[in-house]
Amino acid sequence: MGVRKIKHNEAQEETSIDALISLSDKLKENKAKNMSLTDVIGVAELLTSSLQPLLRQIDSTIHKELRGILLRIEGLRHEIAKVRADDISEHKIPEMGKELSAIVEATEGATDTIMTCAEAVLEIKTDNIKEYKMAVSDQMMHIFEACSFQDLTGQRVTKIVQTVEIIEERINLLCEMLDMGDEAPPAEELNANQKRNKELILNGPANDGEGVNQSAIDKLF
Amino acid sequence: MALDVSMPILIVDDYATMIRIIRNLLKQIGFNNVDDAADGTQALERIGKKKYSLIISDWNMEPMTGYELLKQVRSSDDTARTPFIMVTAESKTENVIAAKKAGVNNYIVKPFNAQTLKGKIDAVFGE
Repeated sequence: MGVRKIKHNEAQEETSIDALISLSDKLKENKAKNMSLTDVIGVAELLTSSLQPLLRQIDSTIHKELRGILLRIEGLRHEIAKVRADDISEHKIPEMGKELSAIVEATEGATDTIMTCAEAVLEIKTDNIKEYKMAVSDQMMHIFEACSFQDLTGQRVTKIVQTVEIIEERINLLCEMLDMGDEAPPAEELNANQKRNKELILNGPANDGEGVNQSAIDKLF
Repeated sequence: MALDVSMPILIVDDYATMIRIIRNLLKQIGFNNVDDAADGTQALERIGKKKYSLIISDWNMEPMTGYELLKQVRSSDDTARTPFIMVTAESKTENVIAAKKAGVNNYIVKPFNAQTLKGKIDAVFGE
């Protein structure tokens, strides 16, 4: 805003205030009796014009604030687009689900083969040692073949880990742009599964170093 | 007194492979009269129709867990004293304590071997 404009506004403000004081005195003298419609309109006009500088100031501040918010939202939209949430929900997570299902299938298949071989070995008659040895070797070969699942599942696990890393990276990026680093997370609300797990003490398998071992349990019994 | 290897045993686990493993281990020990169920609800159905001398159950199953099954078994006069062994991956102290309070006779943490299973069965039957 230019100096001339500020001076003009200040002069206008002073005129309005003077006019208001003069009108106020006039009203006091008349004690609000015999007030014409013209007087009332005059008061309204004076009040409005006296508020103009204030309204202009508020208007300009709000405008600046809104402009700032708009720019921030635009920036965030641009940054959020980089996170590629659609790619995570439409591709990355379904892919991980497929990989995990394949791992479960492969381990189930391998376990079934290994167990079938072991059961077969237990059933082999030991009358003829040469036949027994051949039959056992045959079953052992099947067990070796079945163990190849480990290589494939290992590769699938690697793919899952890489995907999780990508998702982690993108979530970190989102947290950074939203300045969420130091913010305490809100209290987690338990979903139906989590509530069931809590009620029925379903913790799942413990990791190394967690939980109690068999000998500690034995002492309790 | 030697264990009665013809006693009826019920294995409860939602993983067919685990049932197969326990069945085979029991077979190696000498037990052949073995039935199975896929969760607590199915186990209760079996228990309602046949009297079992031993129940070996997993903990984490749906819809009825082994922990709920244990409490149901202990609350019925017919099965209150049936030996119950929990075989589970749940190895937190709170799980073991809760199971003991509910009346479990022994507790095996997965993975386990034949020797552990036999040891616990022997312990339950006072061998």
